[in-house]
Amino acid sequence: MAFKTSVQKYSGNVCNLELGTGEKKISLGGQNVIPFYSFDGDTGSGAKIGLEILDIYPDNWVDELKNLYGSAANNAAEWARLVEEKYSPDFICLRLVGADPNGLNKSVEECAALAIEVAKAVKLPLVIAGTQNHEKDLKLFEKVAEVLEGYNVLLLAAVEENYKTIAAAGVTAYKHKVAAESSVDINLAKQLNILINQLEVKSENIVMHVGSAAVGYGFEYVASTIDRIRLAALGQNDKTLQMPIITPVSFDTWNVKEGASTIEDTPEWGDQTERGIAMEISTAVGVIAAGSDAVILRHPRSAQTIRAFLGKLI
Amino acid sequence: MERFLVIGERIHCISPVIRQAIADRNSAPILQRAKEQLDAGAVYLDLNIGPAERDGEEVMAWAVRLLQENFDNVPLCLDTANKKAIESGIKVYNRSKGKPIINSADAGPRLGLLEVAAANDAMAIALCAKEGIPTGVEERIMYCTEMLEKAMTLGIDPMDLLFDPLFLVIKGMQDKAQEVLETIRQITEMGLRSNAGLSNVSNGAPKHVRPIIDATYCAMAMQCGLTAAIVNPCDPRLMETIKTCDMIKGNMLYADSYLEL
Amino acid sequence: MAMTGLDIYKLTPKTNCKECGFPTCMAFSMKVAAGGVEISKCPHMSEEAMAKLSESTTPLMKAVSFGQGETEYKLGGETVLFRHEKTFVNRNRYAVLFSDEMPQEQIDAKLANMKNVHYVRIGEEMKVEIAALQYTGNKASYLALINKVKASGLKVAYMLVCEDLSVLKEALSLVGDEKPIVFGATKDNYQEMVGLAKDSKLLLGVKAAGLEELYELVENIQKLDYKELLLDTGIASVRDAFTNAVQIRRTALKEQDRTFGYPSVVFINELAKGDKFMEIALASLFTMKYGSILVLEDMDYARALPLYGLRQNIFTDPQKPMRVEPKFYPINNPGDNSPVLITVDFALTYFIVSGEVERSKVPTWLGNPDAGGYSVLTAWAAGKLSGSVIAKFIKESDIESKTKCRKLIIPGRVAVLKADIEDGLPGWEVIIGPDEAMHLPKFLRTMEGIN
Repeated sequence: MAFKTSVQKYSGNVCNLELGTGEKKISLGGQNVIPFYSFDGDTGSGAKIGLEILDIYPDNWVDELKNLYGSAANNAAEWARLVEEKYSPDFICLRLVGADPNGLNKSVEECAALAIEVAKAVKLPLVIAGTQNHEKDLKLFEKVAEVLEGYNVLLLAAVEENYKTIAAAGVTAYKHKVAAESSVDINLAKQLNILINQLEVKSENIVMHVGSAAVGYGFEYVASTIDRIRLAALGQNDKTLQMPIITPVSFDTWNVKEGASTIEDTPEWGDQTERGIAMEISTAVGVIAAGSDAVILRHPRSAQTIRAFLGKLI
Repeated sequence: MERFLVIGERIHCISPVIRQAIADRNSAPILQRAKEQLDAGAVYLDLNIGPAERDGEEVMAWAVRLLQENFDNVPLCLDTANKKAIESGIKVYNRSKGKPIINSADAGPRLGLLEVAAANDAMAIALCAKEGIPTGVEERIMYCTEMLEKAMTLGIDPMDLLFDPLFLVIKGMQDKAQEVLETIRQITEMGLRSNAGLSNVSNGAPKHVRPIIDATYCAMAMQCGLTAAIVNPCDPRLMETIKTCDMIKGNMLYADSYLEL
Repeated sequence: MAMTGLDIYKLTPKTNCKECGFPTCMAFSMKVAAGGVEISKCPHMSEEAMAKLSESTTPLMKAVSFGQGETEYKLGGETVLFRHEKTFVNRNRYAVLFSDEMPQEQIDAKLANMKNVHYVRIGEEMKVEIAALQYTGNKASYLALINKVKASGLKVAYMLVCEDLSVLKEALSLVGDEKPIVFGATKDNYQEMVGLAKDSKLLLGVKAAGLEELYELVENIQKLDYKELLLDTGIASVRDAFTNAVQIRRTALKEQDRTFGYPSVVFINELAKGDKFMEIALASLFTMKYGSILVLEDMDYARALPLYGLRQNIFTDPQKPMRVEPKFYPINNPGDNSPVLITVDFALTYFIVSGEVERSKVPTWLGNPDAGGYSVLTAWAAGKLSGSVIAKFIKESDIESKTKCRKLIIPGRVAVLKADIEDGLPGWEVIIGPDEAMHLPKFLRTMEGIN
């Protein structure tokens, strides 16, 4: 007997979604196979990489990154421009941590003004991440969506408690994309998509954020959730789970001990930045291999490695 | 596992409205019933034009085109004993949404329809019967294997056959109900797919009882491995039951709104 | 995997000769599948068909082992392509590559790194399990290298990466008793290689250019009746190596073809070409998907922390969540005035809570009673996290001697337990903590009367 390539054909495919405008707009999704299984069919747009910037100075970030960005990190628009010119990721994630009611509690107007400055400063598509405070995010995204009309950004994210306003304002009124967030719960992920669909928001305007975790920290739940979502979308042609997936990897990896502990805390572990990058790379590869269509990273070195990694597999 | 295949039965010449529409080549009533069934969740539509000995070829081609042009190449089940009509329907059939299904071959006089399926790369419903009603599980399985052998010598992929154990009306033949379920179980164990013609099982029962019998029988058959059924998709209880069985069997992921899809 | 009647029918001569006593081959096959009759009743089954049938009761992917005693490891034996379908069984193992052309300092540095990276995480020992010893042409140096690694005191299994039979024989005279992996057999040397591996049942690496050639080579080796194999995914490109890893596993489990029913080895060091971060990326990929032995250039904490964490997660049985040992853990160097905080022994919860406490920088005694490995609410609902369980845990530990502070913080979600705990623990004040771990740093920092 001779070897015969094993081919798996699926009836479903992942929706194709566009983010941004103009020459630097990007596509997410479009594949009808499991990541990198080019022997089965169309691998679609391939995973996209975003770099994270903040609306405030990143006091808690490692010194090495603060030095890397220098004074640009004091001003989000300047910071975004630097990131675009120097590191050219596929998109920029502007994280509005300053709006957090448990932190600086900046007003939505102030955040919106900053968001529009950033949007004007760069050509790259934007992902706007909120505070994870449901009430604040609702008002924040409503305002940000309004001032960013025409930029086709992704609002990260709407949850069960606030999806109605965010999806209506974000997608229906101002033509952005919305991320539906559930925390490692496949049934809720599906339900939230159905609910947003029922607001007359098409699947082509929805991205899923199905939860994230750093490797070593219950990552198996994230991996299996994404595995199951992709198999349902492709194999069962489940239309309610065919949206692309985004995973904000850096939001977790720099907070767990392996990324957060300084060299003084754990001298035997060696350089903190290197560990942080390693955690970010490993987690990003993990979610991409399971089926994530976009990852948000913090360190440009991580982005560079993931880009080269993807290049080797396409 | 793949989702349960719901085949809508309501375009059937036994209905006076449809019979008349076919005779007049009047598309409106046919399109209306097709739309109702697709909206209700049917995946395939059964297209029964009766024996149509005189103009079967023309009718089938007309109806296939009509339905596929209006409903995005909806996949169809071509339902007639007229071999030439089936061939003419397949000739104009668009397969982008699924192969045509021939309804139906059997182990007796209609065995020849397997040849039509083989020659046209079509699927077929294979009735486990020869003449009259089979006497038990063994006889049904015997017909099943006979047709399977024939099909395989013709080069048909066994997965393209839907074996129908011949569902019988409960009222009057209650003692046969378990035989049918056992047959499905055995067909499933052989690694084969199966189909149920569910519409007649509740014949003669009071109107309010019929949907309950249909839905429950279908659920029990699905547990035995049934993979498809020709049903009235506009029966909400039946469709809810099928979706719920699909969900419990893991053919579909749960979400609070799963019944609304 | 049991065969269906249809599978068996495909193996019959399909002549309906009736010599078996059944009217058709199909009827006979169905009866065989149902266990009603022996396959041997058919006098016309081919030898190949009979072999296939008898094979059908053996696992699709073989479990193999290598190493000896403390360094013995199992690979393979997987039954599913995705962990949620059941579970992955035998975790992949990491190797570090040494070769005879490496300068002594480099070898010493790698050995030192391997000694340094050795720790326990949730009950699992994390370290490099294999030293991959590559022969590049200098026999004396090669044998010296083997002796050096052997003398290093490291508890590792060996993989001899050497296709030269005579050198390999000498290498085996040094470490043959420790059941090393022999890598490997090629289309030119496989008969001798099998001869060498067979007596001691050594795990034999199999290497070929492309899947077609690999498949043919495995068939030939199996004909020599040898089945302790490890398949090389190749180093032509990352894309090829990944395709090969997936195809090998899928051919075995999905196509049920046991020719590829063996674990695989990926030389990540070759694919990453000296880029450490790329090595981490690729090792993560092959840990997720189907690499059994992953060979790395070196090991340090930047590699180990993500990779061992990822591996531990991916190879967790979905039915048996990870648990941490129920006891008190000192976080941020607590002293005799530090408060006591209670959570559960479900590893995920423990890690999130301990991470947040660390972030708060508030010295704290973090305790997790035996709560059955459930999350807080589930454990409470199941009666595993009750007032009496917590009171008993406090009393039976020596925490009362470690801290004079009598403030006990419990998860906000089980606030109802306050009175029960205070009843069982006179002298303690139970404080209701936040509902979510993420609010712990603020809660701890602003809590009155601490430190």
